[in-house]
Amino acid sequence: MSGSTIIFYLLAAITLVSAVLAVTTRMIFRAAIYLLFSLIGIAGIYFWLNYEFIAAVQIVVYVGGIVVLIIFSIFLTQQAGEQLPKQKMGRQLFSALAAFCGLALVMLQLAQHEFTGTGNKAVEPTVANIGYQMLGVDDNGYALPFEVVSILLLAALIGCIVIALKSKPEKA
Amino acid sequence: MFNPTWAMTIEMVIAGVSVIGLFAALGLVLVLMERRVAAWMQIRLGPNRVGPKGMLQSLADTVKLLVKEGMTPDGSDKFLFNLAPYIAMMVAMLLMAPIAFAKDFRLWDMNIGVLYITAISSIMVISILMAGWASNNKYSLMGAMRSGAQIVSYELSAGLSILTIVVLTGSLNITDIINAQADGWWIFKGHIPVLISFVIFIIAVTAETNRAPFDLAEAESELTAGFHTEYSGMKFALFFLAEYINVFIVCAIGATLFLGGWMPFHIGNWEAFNHVMDYIPSSIWFFGKTFFLIFVIMWFRWTFPRLRIDQLLNLEWKYLLPISMFNLLLVTAIAILKWHF
Amino acid sequence: MFIVKYIKDIFSGIKSLLVGMRRTGYYFTHHKEIITEQYPDNRDTLVMADRFKGEVVLIHDEHNEHACTGCTACELACPNATIKIVTKFDITPEGKKKKAIDKFVYHLELCTMCNLCIVACPTDAIKMAQTFEHSVYDRAELTKILNKPGSKIREGIE
Repeated sequence: MSGSTIIFYLLAAITLVSAVLAVTTRMIFRAAIYLLFSLIGIAGIYFWLNYEFIAAVQIVVYVGGIVVLIIFSIFLTQQAGEQLPKQKMGRQLFSALAAFCGLALVMLQLAQHEFTGTGNKAVEPTVANIGYQMLGVDDNGYALPFEVVSILLLAALIGCIVIALKSKPEKA
Repeated sequence: MFNPTWAMTIEMVIAGVSVIGLFAALGLVLVLMERRVAAWMQIRLGPNRVGPKGMLQSLADTVKLLVKEGMTPDGSDKFLFNLAPYIAMMVAMLLMAPIAFAKDFRLWDMNIGVLYITAISSIMVISILMAGWASNNKYSLMGAMRSGAQIVSYELSAGLSILTIVVLTGSLNITDIINAQADGWWIFKGHIPVLISFVIFIIAVTAETNRAPFDLAEAESELTAGFHTEYSGMKFALFFLAEYINVFIVCAIGATLFLGGWMPFHIGNWEAFNHVMDYIPSSIWFFGKTFFLIFVIMWFRWTFPRLRIDQLLNLEWKYLLPISMFNLLLVTAIAILKWHF
Repeated sequence: MFIVKYIKDIFSGIKSLLVGMRRTGYYFTHHKEIITEQYPDNRDTLVMADRFKGEVVLIHDEHNEHACTGCTACELACPNATIKIVTKFDITPEGKKKKAIDKFVYHLELCTMCNLCIVACPTDAIKMAQTFEHSVYDRAELTKILNKPGSKIREGIE
C-alpha cells in the first residue's frame, strides 16, 4: 500500500467516523465539532485529489461559515454541560431508514453507472481557469446559474435586513 | 528502500521537526521581544534578571509552564477542553505551509496560497469557541462569543485588503506575488490605494489575532482571561504560543503581500542598486520585514487604549469594510488601466 | 454634510493615533528616560525624593535635645490614633512644675504617612523621614518610642 493510499484511508476514516459520531452524540456542541471534523476530512480529500481551490472553498464556506454559524446558534440557545434527551424509538428508526435509503440510492447509481475513461486532457484547476469556466457564456460556462444564485443571495440579504429592521413606533 | 512512500514519510518528518523547532524558537524570541518592547515604551527596563540582559527569561517561563499541573475543571467537557489548544496549534502549523521564508524555500508551493491562508485561518476561531464552551465558565463563554464576532467580522476587511494585491498581481500563488514585486514592492508601486489597504490589513490582522487594542477575547480587565480562563500549565502555554505564532504568520503574510516577502529592496530599473541589494540574503529580507511588522503590531498594543465591543464592531462595519470595498474598486481600476508602476 | 464629517472623523482619528504612537516611539528610542530603580542592587546610591514620607521621627539635635512640648496636637490630629504621648512633670530649677514628654509612642503599623501630625505640630518637633525598609520579624517592634533616652526639651521652647 502506498503512502497516498494510506492517507486516503485515513481521511476517509476521519470523515466517516466523525460523521457517525456527529449524529450519535448527545451533546449538541460536540455534534457540531464532529460535523466540523467530517467537513475538514472532506476538504482533506479534495487536497489529496490536488483540487486545492475546491478544498479551500470547502473550508471557507463550511468550516469558516456554516459551522461557526451553527456554533453561534448553539451558544445563544443552549446551556453548557447539558445532554440532549434521548430520542424516541420511532424517530430513531425513521432516521436510520432515511439514511439507509439515501445510501442505497447513491450506491445504486454508482453501481449502475459505467465509468468510461476519457481521452480529453484534464483542465488545470487554476483560479483563472475556474473563473473562465464559472463566468463563461459558451458551452461549458456557468454564467447563468452563477447569476441566478447571486440573485438568490441578494434576496436573502434583503430579507435579513427587512427582518432585522426595527419597526417604527406607531403614532398614537 | 527509497520508494516514494518512504521519501514522503521522511519529507513529512523533516518538515514537521523544522516547523516545531521554528515554533519553539519563535515563541521564545517573540515573548521576550514583546516584554522588552512593552517595557521600553512604558519607560521601564523589562526582564533583566535571568541570563545576560534577561535573554533567558522566556526560557525560564517555558520551563515553569512545562512542569506546572495542567488542570481540567470539574463540569467541563473534558474531551473538547483538552482538544482545543491542540487545534489552535495545528491551525498555526498548517498556516506555515505556503509561506516563503527565503528564495525557493517553502514547504508547499500551491496555486492558491493566499486563499489557502484565508481558509485555514478561519478555523482558528473554532479552537477559541471550543475552549470557551468546554470550560463551562461564563467568562470563557463570553470571551469566546466576543472573539467569534470579532474574528468573523474582521476577516472580511482582511480578506478584501488581501484581494487588492491579488487583483494587482492576477494570481493567488505566493511565488507569483513575490516575483511581481521584483521591480519594487507593492506598497511603493501601488500608490495610495495599496497604502490604505496595507493599513486596513494591519488593523484587521491585529483584531484577528486578538491582540490589544482588540483583545476582547481575553479582556484581562473584565473577563479575567476570556476564553482561556480555565487553562493552566502546558495547555495554556499552547494557546499562548499559538497567539504569538499567529502574529508571526499574519506579519509574514503582510510582508509577503505588501513588502515583497524575501524580495530585496529593488527600484525599477536601477540595475546597479538592485544588484547591491541582492547581496543581502533573502531570508534576512524576509525576517527583517516580518519582524518590523511584528514590532508595529506590538507598538499598537502598548500605545492604544482598548476598544469596547460596540466600538470594535462599529470600526469594522462602518469604517474598515466600506473603505476597503471602495479601495478595492480603486485598485481594480488601477490594475485595469495599468496605472501602477 | 455626512460624507465630509465621515472623512474628517477618519483623518482626525488617524491623527490622534499617530500622536500616541509618536509618544511611545519617543520613549522606545530614548532609554535615558527610564526611571526604574533596580532597588536591592543600588541600595548604596539610592536617593529618595524629598517629598517621600517613610516614617515619623522626632528631631534631636547634637545635645540630645528636641522641641516637643508634649502639647498632644499631633495626637489629636492623627486620624488613626498612631501617636500616643505620655507626659510627665519635670521640676525646673526654680522649683516649678513643668509639663514635658515622658514617652512619644509611635505605632508605625497604624501610620498611613498622611503628614497631618507634621502640619499640626506648633514647634516643628517632628518630621517625616525618607526611610522605607520597615519590615521586622515581630509586630511589637513597630511600636516605637521616638524620644531618645535622656533627651530633654530644648531651652526656650514653650
